[in-house]
Amino acid sequence: MSLEYVLLVGSILILVSIAIAKLFDNLGVPTLLLFLGVGMLAGSEGPGGIYFDDAGLAQSIGIIALVFILFAGGLDTSWREVKPVFLQAASLATVGVLLTALAVGLFVHVVLGVSLLVGLLLGAVVSSTDAAAVFSVLRSKDVSLRGRTKPLLELESGSNDPMAVFLTVGIIHLLTTPGSTWISIATLFVIQMGLGAVLGLGLGNAMVFVLNRLKLAYDGIYSVFSMACAVLIYGTAVTIGGSGFLAVYVAGLVAGNSDFIQKRSLLRFFDGLAWLSQIAMFVALGLLVFPSRLATVMGAGLLVSGFLMFVARPASVFFTLLPAKLHWNEKAFVSWVGLRGAVPIILATFPLLAGLPDAEVIFNLVFFIVLTSALLQGWSIPFVARWLRVDAPLEQKRRYPIEFAPMEGVDTELVDLIIPYHSEAAGKSIIELGMPRDSLIVLISRGNDFIVPSGGTILREGDAILVLVNKDNLPAVREIIGKQKKSGAL
Amino acid sequence: MKITDILTERVVRTNLGGKNKEEVLNAVIDLAATSEKVLDKEKVRTAIFEREKIMSTGVGSGFAIPHGKTEAVSDIVGAFAVTAEPIDYQSLDEQPVRIIFLLVGRDNMVGPHIKLLSRISRLMNKDDFRKKLLEAPSPAAVMEIFRQEEASYFEA
Repeated sequence: MSLEYVLLVGSILILVSIAIAKLFDNLGVPTLLLFLGVGMLAGSEGPGGIYFDDAGLAQSIGIIALVFILFAGGLDTSWREVKPVFLQAASLATVGVLLTALAVGLFVHVVLGVSLLVGLLLGAVVSSTDAAAVFSVLRSKDVSLRGRTKPLLELESGSNDPMAVFLTVGIIHLLTTPGSTWISIATLFVIQMGLGAVLGLGLGNAMVFVLNRLKLAYDGIYSVFSMACAVLIYGTAVTIGGSGFLAVYVAGLVAGNSDFIQKRSLLRFFDGLAWLSQIAMFVALGLLVFPSRLATVMGAGLLVSGFLMFVARPASVFFTLLPAKLHWNEKAFVSWVGLRGAVPIILATFPLLAGLPDAEVIFNLVFFIVLTSALLQGWSIPFVARWLRVDAPLEQKRRYPIEFAPMEGVDTELVDLIIPYHSEAAGKSIIELGMPRDSLIVLISRGNDFIVPSGGTILREGDAILVLVNKDNLPAVREIIGKQKKSGAL
Repeated sequence: MKITDILTERVVRTNLGGKNKEEVLNAVIDLAATSEKVLDKEKVRTAIFEREKIMSTGVGSGFAIPHGKTEAVSDIVGAFAVTAEPIDYQSLDEQPVRIIFLLVGRDNMVGPHIKLLSRISRLMNKDDFRKKLLEAPSPAAVMEIFRQEEASYFEA
């Protein structure tokens, strides 16, 4: 395969993905499904006809993409928002994941008749929720959540992948290495998570420290610097035996909540990088699957997927959040936002590469589960939020009502004025003010509220107002607003 | 957006020098320009002085809230100062000014800008709050006063 061919095909796939995302923008389809769909259509069984079965390459793309997605997700998470839900999210990300894996594992073992360990392997692979999917659904314009469910779900999805990775790798280890025990796996767990968290904290702070003292000559280099840092943090953690995903997410969280030079442009840079990662990862994974083989696992897939969505996830969420002061419908909502995404598919390539006998079936099953989860849960989240009454009015996300735009050929401009203290205008209704003709108070901001005034609206001291006024009338308006009450000032 | 989101100790002064309105305005603009969000200090200066021409932002009781909108900032930028001397600011109540809150917004972000304006001006209309600020010994103390006030405001 020539370089030109790879570049041509790669860029076309990215552009097609963007076009499709744009096309389906209003339908609320989770973007990951669209990107997976592009990959599947481009594959050898679709019109694209690209033959791709390199699980190793797909896994590498997936891991690199996850590093950036997790780092960007951490950068974009406000510590102040997630701090109150930290313990809940941490238990969901560990105990909750473990319970989900166990429940699905037992179910698969009993119902599909595979060995217990293979069942647990499948359970582990699908045990984590997907950060990219959860973020994109919760931050889309169709949902607005009340209370703490949003930060809880974001923190959970950002931090539960390491646990799933760990469980998967641990069980593969048990399956392939004779003589290994559960005890050795548990020790490994403590080391991985501990090292991952500590390294993430330390290196994240170090990165911010260096960024602020670098004084680079070119702004663009800051992006390159921090991109290399993210990869370095992942690499360092993995090399010395920690969880790289946890480290890179924690480092992102640390950096995102510190002040550093060029923060705004870096956030934008990583946002773009995360999108590119998502597209590349999902398209590659879509290419990797052969849709015809999915059909053969449909029955089992529906069974496991249904069990995961309606039994395993809710049970583990309700159990884990037993001590949490959350209303039952908030817990039900958290259960429903158990979106599976790229991580299970990437993890499903692990058994493939380890050469396990049932790997192919596991991969297809997992792919099927992710598709149904993304389709059913991803699509229905706005409705479920409304149904469970955990949604907030969408107005809060609406753009502010008025934007300045210079008007050609009109001598009128929009100025922002403040009603002075002790102003005679305060306490009067707008109609009493006697504003000059052709001038209009269009908006009043008072505390947290915007008021679109009518003639009877009463002004208060300290109100910020937007006034539409032409130059000739300005002095009159100034006089009306600025005049002091006779006894007021002194 | 909260007041404590746009202020840091770096852009707060408790003993700002300057003898007249122009000097203190320039001083607070210089203060705000220490933020990397200010892309072009001169454009900010123009926007502030232009707005001041429309109507004095000395809203009374010794407080002024110079503000303006420009493309030369990447996000809303603020600065806060208590002046060493009372300043003739051509305020609407003709009283000298000692407390100054500068707010620079982006051209295309009117909503958050005027929301902050009204919140700040409302806060500064409280006599005991202004007194606390006038007596604050350090920028850190000023920040603490805003933090406390906003904490109670947002819990209410």
